[in-house]
Amino acid sequence: MTQPISHLDLLEAESIHIFREAAAQFRKPVLLYSIGKDSTVLLHLARKAFWPARLPFPLLHIDTGWKFRDMIAFRDKTARDFDLDLLVHTNEDGAAKGINPLDYSPSIYTDVMKTVPLKQALDKYAFDAAFGGARRDEEASRAKERVFSFRAEGHRWDPRRQRPEMWRLLNGRLGAGETVRVFPLSNWTERDVWRYILREKLDVVPLYFAAERPTIVRGGQLIMQDDDRLTLKPGEEVVNRRVRFRTLGCYPLTAAVESDAADMESVVAETLGARTSERQGRLIDHDQVGAMEKKKQEGYF
Amino acid sequence: MSAQPTALQKSQASVSKAPLTVVSDQTSASPSIASIDEIAPELSGLLRVLTCGSVDDGKSTLIGRLLWDATDLYDDQRETLRRGKTVDGGNPDFSLLMDGLVAEREQGITIDIAWRYFDTATRRIVVIDSPGHEQYTRNMASGASHADVAILLIDARHGIKKQTRRHAAILDLVGVKRVILVVNKMDLVDWSESTFRKIEADFETFSWRFGFWETTVIPTAAVSGDNVASPSGHMPWYSGPTLLEHLESLPSRVTEPTGPFRFPVQTVLRDSRNDFRGLAGTVSGGSVRVGETVVDALSQRKAKILRISTMDGDLETASQGQAVAIQLDTDIDVARGAVLSKGDMPPLAARVLEARMVWLSETAYDPRGSYLLRTATDLTPVSNLKISALLDLETLETHQADACATNDIAIGTIALGRTAAIDTFTEAPETGSFVLVDAITGGSVAGGVITAAKAEAAEADENTFVLTRAMLERGLNADLGDSAQSEAEFRRRANEVALILRAAGINVEIENAPDYSI
Repeated sequence: MTQPISHLDLLEAESIHIFREAAAQFRKPVLLYSIGKDSTVLLHLARKAFWPARLPFPLLHIDTGWKFRDMIAFRDKTARDFDLDLLVHTNEDGAAKGINPLDYSPSIYTDVMKTVPLKQALDKYAFDAAFGGARRDEEASRAKERVFSFRAEGHRWDPRRQRPEMWRLLNGRLGAGETVRVFPLSNWTERDVWRYILREKLDVVPLYFAAERPTIVRGGQLIMQDDDRLTLKPGEEVVNRRVRFRTLGCYPLTAAVESDAADMESVVAETLGARTSERQGRLIDHDQVGAMEKKKQEGYF
Repeated sequence: MSAQPTALQKSQASVSKAPLTVVSDQTSASPSIASIDEIAPELSGLLRVLTCGSVDDGKSTLIGRLLWDATDLYDDQRETLRRGKTVDGGNPDFSLLMDGLVAEREQGITIDIAWRYFDTATRRIVVIDSPGHEQYTRNMASGASHADVAILLIDARHGIKKQTRRHAAILDLVGVKRVILVVNKMDLVDWSESTFRKIEADFETFSWRFGFWETTVIPTAAVSGDNVASPSGHMPWYSGPTLLEHLESLPSRVTEPTGPFRFPVQTVLRDSRNDFRGLAGTVSGGSVRVGETVVDALSQRKAKILRISTMDGDLETASQGQAVAIQLDTDIDVARGAVLSKGDMPPLAARVLEARMVWLSETAYDPRGSYLLRTATDLTPVSNLKISALLDLETLETHQADACATNDIAIGTIALGRTAAIDTFTEAPETGSFVLVDAITGGSVAGGVITAAKAEAAEADENTFVLTRAMLERGLNADLGDSAQSEAEFRRRANEVALILRAAGINVEIENAPDYSI
């Protein structure tokens, strides 16, 4: 290498190493693909790890049925462009019962439409390892997460079962009934993810860029009306605002921010100058105290 | 070194207020790239810093203070602090930033290692926060194994304690080469120079015996920030760097390749579309160049490097820390677990290892237990693990022993069920360290360093049963072909059979593959 090694080069090499270790040690891994910026980076690193070979594992998207339409279009295009095996799973039972993010509390909705179908899909295909894009900088309880995070039978996360990790050595030998979540982006920060997207010129979902979008104000947050299932409450009105999204999820639960950042450079500039950590844009976290840790113990990522 | 820039990214708040170059049409020209380089530079280095010390010494406060003063905190995190209770005369409780898990927060004690990240103007600082109490030696050792430098934190009122000695010994064991002694709570000893100098002298007296390359002693008051990120006005007698200045001046992780070339093979990549067969791995020591001859430590087979490939294009050289795929000019049938080196100073094809290890498991050492040895990318069945002594971390003396349990530092002999490519830790740390795995639960029972390796088993044991290739090929592995994947599966099955037999009380060895090929 002629250029000096930057911190992104070091992070990239570490992530590639983790991907290769997991692919070699586990019988049937899968990459959990949620279409957002972290998944974009995760997928790019996976492709680098196994290039020029095809990815030796499929992608799994848990579709709640409430993702932004732009996300689904981007997902399908990505799978085509990179010749990926894409699996999509929805909790049909929950969908049939009409569990939705508008009428149910975020914790019930997340459990039924995200946590439960994730477990269903992992069991259905008998995956023993799942790559996720979680980072230690996201939230306090994640600061102690391992690179190989073990789940007991039933996908339960138990802090006492987590194995100490030393040097670069990763021990993926499974005990009875155990599965693993693998986090190649453990040591990345939100800034690194954006910097890397910029450096590697990666395509992301257009929702990250500012555009005129139909939005309402609900609970003090800007929510986009992505389709007509979002009906107006008294006093609410749809206004076209110039907005973009800092994180992507189910559209009724994902707050937009007013912004003029319409290309990658401006988004990165705005994000890196921003003084609010990204999870504030996700409504599910404010539901309960220690929310993320509880969700993790239940099997949510 | 001292001329390194120390200005932090204090400019971020103002950057967000500055009018952005707004381009409403996505297809039109992008805004000035120069401004992006200003806000989102790739940092020229990365430093992993372990912090050890107990809650009482003000460790969480020190790290919280570092994060606070480095202005890398987001507004909502600052708000959390402002809303929280205040301590020590109105200062925010910085420890709220560090203690993560609910259970720990309730107990008011940090039991697991936590990772924090912040950027200075020049580099990424990764803070690895580890618990200080004696019952968490294993947590500290695992945290320390990731560190480039360690901060030993002590309370100026109490000076060097037994715990400080224990921590230094653990750092030395796992290979930390740079240590900073932070003498905190200087405000509570009236900023006394004589108190500080005595502690400094005490530290030098005991730290010389370790293998540290550099030790630094800094007086601080974390609550008020003295000498953390800004110089103290209270201690004119101290002319050294602040903690942050020092962290910015230390060499970054992997600045240049060190030690002999090592390339542990992780997996073999194939692309039939263009006849590609590449050995994927991360260079764990030294560097290598296209055209150079490399040797597989176990088979002694040699080949020349034809290509060093990445998705971003081929490289002329690959250095320590780089993840690449290596194509050789001849197929020497190496698979996962192999270690490539250059002809001089190869790893040893070893059968017996001498090791020092931290016992991580809550289950004590079991002389009849089934263990596996995970080295760089290899997993080898252990045919015998014998504990010979325990290290007393406070006196640094060893005492004869034949058992060990949680948090012990044990010295022992590991006999392998087959030959593996092994280095000593001092020569090549990444291929000289290991994790001992419980074959049944999969748990990581110990982590350690190899101090010596021998090619031959100590003595031929009449009672050792040898699993021969012929025996395994006939039935158990009859369905396997002759690809590298098949060889990996062959070895996996052989390992499992060896473990089962060993659990039944039979000492087992696995015959090596002829030429380490099929």
